[in-house]
Amino acid sequence: MNNYQLMITADDKQVVLERILQVTRYRGFLINGINAKVNTGTNIGTIELLVRSERPIELLVDQINKLIDIKEVKIDNHAS
Amino acid sequence: MTNEKKLTGAGLLFNVLEQHGVEHVFGYPGGAIMPIYDALYDSKVEHFLCRHEQGAAFSAVGYARASGKVGVCFATSGPGATNLITGLADALADSIPIVAITGQVATAAMGSDAFQEIDIFGLSLACTKHSFQVTDINDLEKVLHQAFAIALEGRQGPVLVDIPKDIQITEVNRCLDKLVNLENKVKLPPANVGSAIALLNQAKQPILYVGGGVGMANAIDELRDFATTTGLPSVSTLKGLGAIDPEDENYLGMLGMHGTKAANIAVQECDLLIAVGARFDDRVTGKLNEFAPHAKVIHFDIDTSEINKRRIADASILGDLKVNLPALAIPLAIKPWQAVCHEMNNNFAWDYNHPGELIFAPAVLKEISDKMPKNSCVTTDVGQHQMWAAQHMVFDDPSNFLTSAGMGTMGFGIPAAVGAQVSRPTDCIIAVSGDGSFMMNVQELSTIKRFQLPVKIVLIDNAKLGMVRQWQDLFFNGRLSETDLADNPDFIMLANAFDIKAKMITKKSQVSAAIEEMLEHDGPYLLQVKIDAQENVWPLVPPNTANDKMMEST
Repeated sequence: MNNYQLMITADDKQVVLERILQVTRYRGFLINGINAKVNTGTNIGTIELLVRSERPIELLVDQINKLIDIKEVKIDNHAS
Repeated sequence: MTNEKKLTGAGLLFNVLEQHGVEHVFGYPGGAIMPIYDALYDSKVEHFLCRHEQGAAFSAVGYARASGKVGVCFATSGPGATNLITGLADALADSIPIVAITGQVATAAMGSDAFQEIDIFGLSLACTKHSFQVTDINDLEKVLHQAFAIALEGRQGPVLVDIPKDIQITEVNRCLDKLVNLENKVKLPPANVGSAIALLNQAKQPILYVGGGVGMANAIDELRDFATTTGLPSVSTLKGLGAIDPEDENYLGMLGMHGTKAANIAVQECDLLIAVGARFDDRVTGKLNEFAPHAKVIHFDIDTSEINKRRIADASILGDLKVNLPALAIPLAIKPWQAVCHEMNNNFAWDYNHPGELIFAPAVLKEISDKMPKNSCVTTDVGQHQMWAAQHMVFDDPSNFLTSAGMGTMGFGIPAAVGAQVSRPTDCIIAVSGDGSFMMNVQELSTIKRFQLPVKIVLIDNAKLGMVRQWQDLFFNGRLSETDLADNPDFIMLANAFDIKAKMITKKSQVSAAIEEMLEHDGPYLLQVKIDAQENVWPLVPPNTANDKMMEST
């Protein structure tokens, strides 16, 4: 299992967090931790997602990036 | 504010549909969508009442696939909405642009377990490209425009818009006077053209692997120019059938589990695989780590997430195929390899010799293909008949072969044919079905009757769930479990009950005249073709096996 940390920025739209969690589970990643907050001034949400999986993290990054409300996904670190 | 005409939410919906050129919708009314059906009364949009919401969803899919337009379907809340889900999942798997409108209980009742309330918004997350729930009437117009834009942009797909009943009846100013342009979400890296050209020039045995993305990108002309200029031998996925010119001498047919022997061997032996709008699906690759084991890969796609998902690409060309294919169209010096492929095509041609009097389904489907009018559109259900249609019928455009490829949904064929016939009223639409699949959406015969759609249904009947029976025979020691359908209804009587002319044939000698009678008939027609229940689809690559280790008819 490899551990990864993603930093996601997203428009603060309906169910965006549910969408991220659904994609994460479906694509074979387990969630170790999550921290989410919204800047009410800009309506931009930031989600810090700690995940683990046997699969390459790029597979998850590409799938989260496809979600309509996502602005950016960054891999913060690689840790095995 | 350029247009301040007051409309209800329901009226606004039809206003936006008309703005997007929507002429036809498929649906089924119910309590929470009644204001929308009331507004339908005053709309120019023509509504096709289906007899199940799943039928409406598949009709919208068939409409979209046959016409290239967005398919639209309506359903009420609760069970109406959940009945759409299989159609939405099918559209997601095959990247089909659909906009589904669902009624929802009033916002004040939401979350109270109200009558016919279900969280379709939540349920939609796994089976749509995107979804919306409109809880503020002032958002409705923009959301509807976004739904159409999202369905069509980049890799196409289904979008659901859930509209509570109170939003449907609330009055609002229509405030946008033009369509919303989405921020371009598809930000693609620069195409890796230089390294791809180098790979093409180095290759001695390259193969062009064509997927459904070519038709979705409307890049058939560009693909055919690319194939002609390069001279590449080519293979097709199930959803890609029709993209390559079937007369192209370098075309080897469908690859994968039930692909041609020539296609599968050529792919296994190739040294470069040029995947175009294809996604290395498990039914294509067989055992993944033994698929095209000697090949480097150039992967063209619009969807970044498909690159390196199942097979690492040596060069990836992201973006619009209409732009990117011409950039790589260079003549290649591969005559010896072309000759090898031509020889395989000749050596492994289909054999239609079949002993006995019982009807041989591949020969029937080939004869229909030979005799059907130009620009006919064939839909299928899922199972043996689907694979026989893919193997033995010839298509010159992907919009002329509508089959549930990714999701493999039984019950697709009849409602998809309804949608195709609505979108192309003067073309011959033929639904090839099996006796298992046919019963899954048999209620749509009523839609055919209601609108007098001249759909031709070819029912390949072995009184079995044939593909499952075949696998039970081959891989489960012949332990036949729940695959016998000997208690099927009388299909002729059933068709007649819907005012559909029908005929059953049981012998080879009846085939030609029956096909001609069906094709010449003005209205809907069902041709029941009884076949030997023991017939299998060949060749077959067994599960978790390399594609060159296929089983063949003995």
